[in-house]
This record gives sequence, C-alpha cells and structure tokens, in this order.
Amino acid sequence: MSDVKVQKAMKQHMGLTASRRISNTAIYIVLTIMSVIWLIPFVCIVLQSFRVESTWQVGYVIPRQWGWDNYVNLAKTDFWRWYTNTFILAILTAALQTIIVLCMSYTLSRFRFKMRKPLMKLMLVLGLFPGMMTMIILYRVLADLGLTQKNSIPGLLLVYVASSGMGYYVSKGFFDTISKSLDEAARVDGANRFKVLVKIILPMSKPIVIYTVLTAFMGPWGDFVFARYISMGTSAGKNVAVGMYDWLSQDQIGKNYTMFCAGGVLVALPVTLLFLFLQRYYVEGVTNGAVKG
Amino acid sequence: MKKLISLVLALVMLVAMAAVGGVAEGFADSYDITVWVPEEIKELTAQQIDTFNNTNQFGIKFNPTIEAVSEAVAADNMVNDVEAGGDIFCFPQDQFARLLRAKALDELTEVFAEKVAAENDANSIAAAKSGDVFYAYPLTSDNGYFMYYDKSVIPEEDIDSLEALIADCEAAQKYFAFELQTSSWYLASFFFGTGCVSEWVTDDDGTFVKVRDTFNSPEGLIAAKGIEKLVKSPFHLSSSKADSFESNAAIVVTGIWDYELAKQILGDNLGVADLPSFTVDGEEYHIGSFKGSKLMGVKPGNDVYRQAAMHFLAQYLTSEECQLQRFELKGWGPSNLADQELDAVKNHPGLAALKAQDPYSVPQGQIHGSWWGIAQVIADDIKLATDEAGLQAALDKYLDKINELFTLDNTALLFVGAWNGWNNADTSKTYYLAPKADGSYVLTLDVPESGYMGGRVVNPGSWDTDKGFAQVTEGADLIKDLGADNPDNNIVFAEPGNYTITWDGEAFTIVKN
Repeated sequence: MSDVKVQKAMKQHMGLTASRRISNTAIYIVLTIMSVIWLIPFVCIVLQSFRVESTWQVGYVIPRQWGWDNYVNLAKTDFWRWYTNTFILAILTAALQTIIVLCMSYTLSRFRFKMRKPLMKLMLVLGLFPGMMTMIILYRVLADLGLTQKNSIPGLLLVYVASSGMGYYVSKGFFDTISKSLDEAARVDGANRFKVLVKIILPMSKPIVIYTVLTAFMGPWGDFVFARYISMGTSAGKNVAVGMYDWLSQDQIGKNYTMFCAGGVLVALPVTLLFLFLQRYYVEGVTNGAVKG
Repeated sequence: MKKLISLVLALVMLVAMAAVGGVAEGFADSYDITVWVPEEIKELTAQQIDTFNNTNQFGIKFNPTIEAVSEAVAADNMVNDVEAGGDIFCFPQDQFARLLRAKALDELTEVFAEKVAAENDANSIAAAKSGDVFYAYPLTSDNGYFMYYDKSVIPEEDIDSLEALIADCEAAQKYFAFELQTSSWYLASFFFGTGCVSEWVTDDDGTFVKVRDTFNSPEGLIAAKGIEKLVKSPFHLSSSKADSFESNAAIVVTGIWDYELAKQILGDNLGVADLPSFTVDGEEYHIGSFKGSKLMGVKPGNDVYRQAAMHFLAQYLTSEECQLQRFELKGWGPSNLADQELDAVKNHPGLAALKAQDPYSVPQGQIHGSWWGIAQVIADDIKLATDEAGLQAALDKYLDKINELFTLDNTALLFVGAWNGWNNADTSKTYYLAPKADGSYVLTLDVPESGYMGGRVVNPGSWDTDKGFAQVTEGADLIKDLGADNPDNNIVFAEPGNYTITWDGEAFTIVKN
C-alpha cells in the first residue's frame, strides 16, 4: 500500500470517527436532558421524604434538615398494614396469574380442539371491553359474597386473578415460535404434556415467564380505583395507594405531605428493584412476543 | 318507622327513670357499630364513645369500630353503598341532599330534633333540615373562609381594601392567593358581596325543585368588575392552601382548617381578618363568603332499639361537651350555642375572623351538584375579557348553563301571549320575568297590535295561570277589566305599546314606557 493510499484511508477513518462522535454527542445530550426531566419528580419525592423541618409543601427542593422522621412516622399510621396487604396481594396475584396464563397459552399453542379459534376470538372481544364497566356489578357480587371492606384483599385477589386467562396473547405468541418437534421428541421419550411444559418449554421461555410475572405483579401494586371502591373506607381492607390517598385531603396534606413522600419512596422500592434485576428479560419478553407472535 | 322509634323512645325514657343501673329494657347488651370520622379526631371519638358507654342513663353499650374516613369521602362511600356504610358518619353540609336522596340519613325523632334545634346556631340547624324534618346533627359551624396574611408584608391599615392589598402584593412581588379560578366556593364570595343570590330549594326528599339565581344582573356585573381587579393582577394565585405562604404568597384566603399550618409557617407574622372590600364606581362592597357546617348522620336501619341507641350516641357526640373537646384539641369551631359563648372560643383568632366575616356570609344551603362546575369558569372568562361586554358575556354564559340545567324551571315566570305565539315552552329569555337581587321579577316587552292583546304569567310548561289580572295593583288602568269574561285571570292590555311589568312577590306593577 502506497503512502498516499494510507493517508487517504486514515483521513477517511478520522472523518468517520469525528462525525460519529458528533452525532453521538448530540444523542447523549438529548438523552441526558430527557432523563433529567423524567427523573426530577422522583428525585424531588426522595428529597422531600428526608425533609424534617416541616411537613407541608414548600418552595424549595433540598431539605434544610435531613432525617428519617417521615419514615419513622409511617409506623404510627396504618401504612405497614396497607403495605403488607398490597404486597401479599401482588405476590399471590403474580403467582396465580402466571400459572394460569402459562397453562392457557400452552394449551392454545399446542392443543388442537373444537372451538379453539372461536374461544380465542371470544376472549379477544371480551378483553376489548373496558374493565371499569364491570366495576359496579363486580362490587355487588363481592359485597354479597362478603368480600368487601375488611375482606377486600381476598375479594380483590379473586377479581385480579379471575380473568387472567384472557391475557394469553404474548406468551402464546412466544410458545408458537418454539418448534413442535421438541415436544414430539419429549413425548416419544415418555414425557406427558405437563412434563413437556415444565421441563422443555418453560426453561426455554424464561423472558416470557418473567414478563408475565412482572406485569401480574404491577397490576395490584398500583391499583387504586377498584381497590378504593371495594375497601369502602375500611382501613383493614385498603391497599397502599388507597390508604395514602387519604393523606392528601385538604385538611390533612399540611400534616402529611412529607410522610406521603416517604410512603411513595417505599412503594416504588420493590418495583424498582424487580425491574433493575429483571430488566434484561423484560425487554426480551416484550419484543419476542410482539415480533414473532 | 318514625312513630315506632318515638314509641320506643318514650317507653325507654319511662323505664330509664325507674331503672337503677343495668341496661334499660329493650336494648341489647351491646351494639357493634362502625363510626366514620376524619383521621384527626379518631382517637378523641374513641374516648368520647367510651365516656358515653360509661355514663349514659340507659346503660347502652357500644362496641365501636372507628374508621378514619374524611367527610367528603364518607359521603361518596355512603352514596355508593348505604348498606355497607358507616352506622354513624360525618359529612359536609353540601353533601346533605345527595345523602338524603340515597336514603343514607335516618330521620331524627322529635326528642332529638327539639334538642338539636334548641342547642345549635341557626345556620347549622338549617343545614341539618330538609323541609321541616331533621336528618342530621350539627357537628361544627366553621366551614367558611377568611383572610390569612403575612404581617411583615401587609400593613394593618390596608387589610380592609382589596385594591390596597393588591397594590401591596404587587409592590412586594408576592402572591395574593384566592382560589377564584378553580373553585366556585371561593368565587361566589364577590357575588354575595354585591347582594347576588343563588338559592336552590329542595323538597322533603332532597330533590331540587327551584333555583333563584341573580349572578347575571347589574349587581353581578359589579362583582365581575371586582373579580377582574384581582384575577388580572400578575400576582394573583388561584390557590387556597396555607402552604402557599412557603411559595411566596403574602395573602391566602382559606378556612379554619389551615390555621395551625399557617401559624407554623408564619409564626408571629400571621395575621387573620375578615375579607376586604372592593370599590366599583365609588361604591364599596365587602366581599362575602359561604358559611357552612359539618354534620353527623345516622344510617337508617330496621332495629328500632339499635337506631334509638345510635341516635343517643350521635346526640352525645355532637353535644356541648364533645364539641368543646374537639375545639380544644383540634380547633373545630362549635355549632353549639353554649360553646360559642365561651371565652376560649371567642378569642380564637381564626374563629374571631370567621365571626367578623359572618355578617357578609351566606349560609351554604343545598346546592345543585352541577352548579360547582358551571360557576367555576366565570373567573377564567373574566380574566380573558377585554371590556365590560366581555364581563357581561361571561355572566350570560353562566346563566345559559344554569338554564340548561333547569330549562323548564317551575319557578321561572314566563309571560305567554300573542307576542310569543302562546308558547309555554319558550326557552329564549325574551319573555321571562328576570329575577332581581331584591327579590322582584321584571320584564319589559312590546305588545303588538292584535285582536286579543292579552296573555298570562305561567310557570314554563304549564298552562295554569300562576299570577295575573287579579294581582295587578298599580297600572290597572292600562289593562282591560273583563270581569266574569276572564276566568283564566289573563292580563289583557288596552293598547299596544312597550310595557314594563314588575312582580314584587305579592303584586304586579305595570308601567307603560
């Protein structure tokens, strides 16, 4: 290679790097600005939760006195009861809903039975109705079963889990991409259908399982409207969102604002942790199901 | 039901007089009840029920579950499902009609009603009644608003003048917080200040039957000019939160519930006063306000003894003794007359300011739920208006919306006749007698030449003459006396022309223009 050629190549190379660097810088600047905008509210809440010089809303962000008072004060309210309620509800819903969804998806993906297509269509159509629509009648049913007010938690569990089979699309789409010959091979080796699901399909579907668990966990964790309706002012039956909302009434907010922030931080914690550790699978799960389904 | 409870009560009282210790006959050993009170008085209420258990003369015992449910939420919950609601609950008076319609309030029998009527102030009594029947126990009489200000910014001598206050705030670059743009509750203050009214009347079931609203009137226009002064100031803040003092406010208009908070933020610089006056065309108008009560209700039920027992408890919880405890612990302004006379209550700065505002305040009667949304936009429209016509347009829009609500309002007076083609469902405003602030109704109309230049004043939608010929006192010479030939009490003009007709509540005055 002659010197001229080498120089030319080097120049080209430098030009490429430079332009890439410029575009990268621009992208990073935009992303940084956006993430700052998105993060400001969260940072504010965290900072407010450590402010101890006053309990109401103030015109500055950085606390003048730092402390754990707001977190300590939470124990003096029913907060931990609501938190436990929500946590139990979310865990149980996540477990039950995942089992139901996976079984449903596997069935619809692998079995061929009469009315399979119409059933899938029916569930799709039913899923299109807004859930709010059923709220009043569900309340009536639950009230007659005695599953409201102080028994709200089992009542809510029933509601959250009951229709979960209808959320099969994403995981069925994923199962459809796994070759059927794997099932057949396992069947030839003597595995029954259940074993095929547990030993062959599920280990290959980690992203989708985790995606299902996460979405199932998030539903009850953030529910407010239905949970509020069902608990009807009974502290023992409130979830954390409903309980904390009452601190925001006009005569309460002055006393409870910083405590509310502390509660908010604690509510965000488990979800944040879950996402941090499972983020990789979550993204995979969403894209897999969506593209190949 | 009511009679049955009366009977039981009479019986119980007889027995109680004879009983020495133990439970009065008929009552169960103890009753499990759910009591809904706001968070801040939860513990106090538990103590008070305990005291009731130990001291009541009938030996009634309650085993209460006390839940913290704020007043507004309690009303919502009760309406959603009365059966699952609290047995005894607190609510603000504006929810009264709604609760009554949902059948969530048990009627007070005479014994209780008489005591409520004797011991509480007039406004709270009015709030607890629908028609002539009591359905609730007054709990407080402090649901109004007044002015909190920062003494380090606002000089004492300026607190009576809206214009001076706005100037002070602008000079100090500090906010004047008055929630005019997002809350009808605060907005109405200016209108009440100029003598406008918005009175809604319910029947015994809590259904709205009439409205008399004079916001769209010359007086209303004056109020709009007052509002304009404040909302057009760059230092107006539409907020009613005492913590606005932390965000650069020098004045906040809010209620007694924010007193402790304001005190904590401003310390010795906290000043409280009644609302200021504003000046339009050389006339001064003191800004008015709503005043209201919080009430305690008892849920209806079938067990008469249990109901009677709960009424005894509700009565105790709203008694002189319990209201005083709530004042001492949480600063709640009592509705009880004896409590109001105590020095401690009289000297409370917040309650004193509320009292100073009292002559200018209007009892918050039953108000149609849609009114809050309709009136709310007035201040926004005023802010956008560039001239007097704009202000008038804001008020016209308001009245149109009210009319939509009660298109064929059966209190409106429509003068039907040849001039509007005898249309008794006329929705245009042309032939309605317009209500004025002084309670009179006025209409100016052109009577065209025709064979029968007559008509009658009816309630829209009806053909029955509401008022007519027989009620004309002044101007009788302008109309024809048809004698027996006028069974419908019609007013028949002798000549065509332009007439002004005024109804003052008792008689018509007819003037030819």
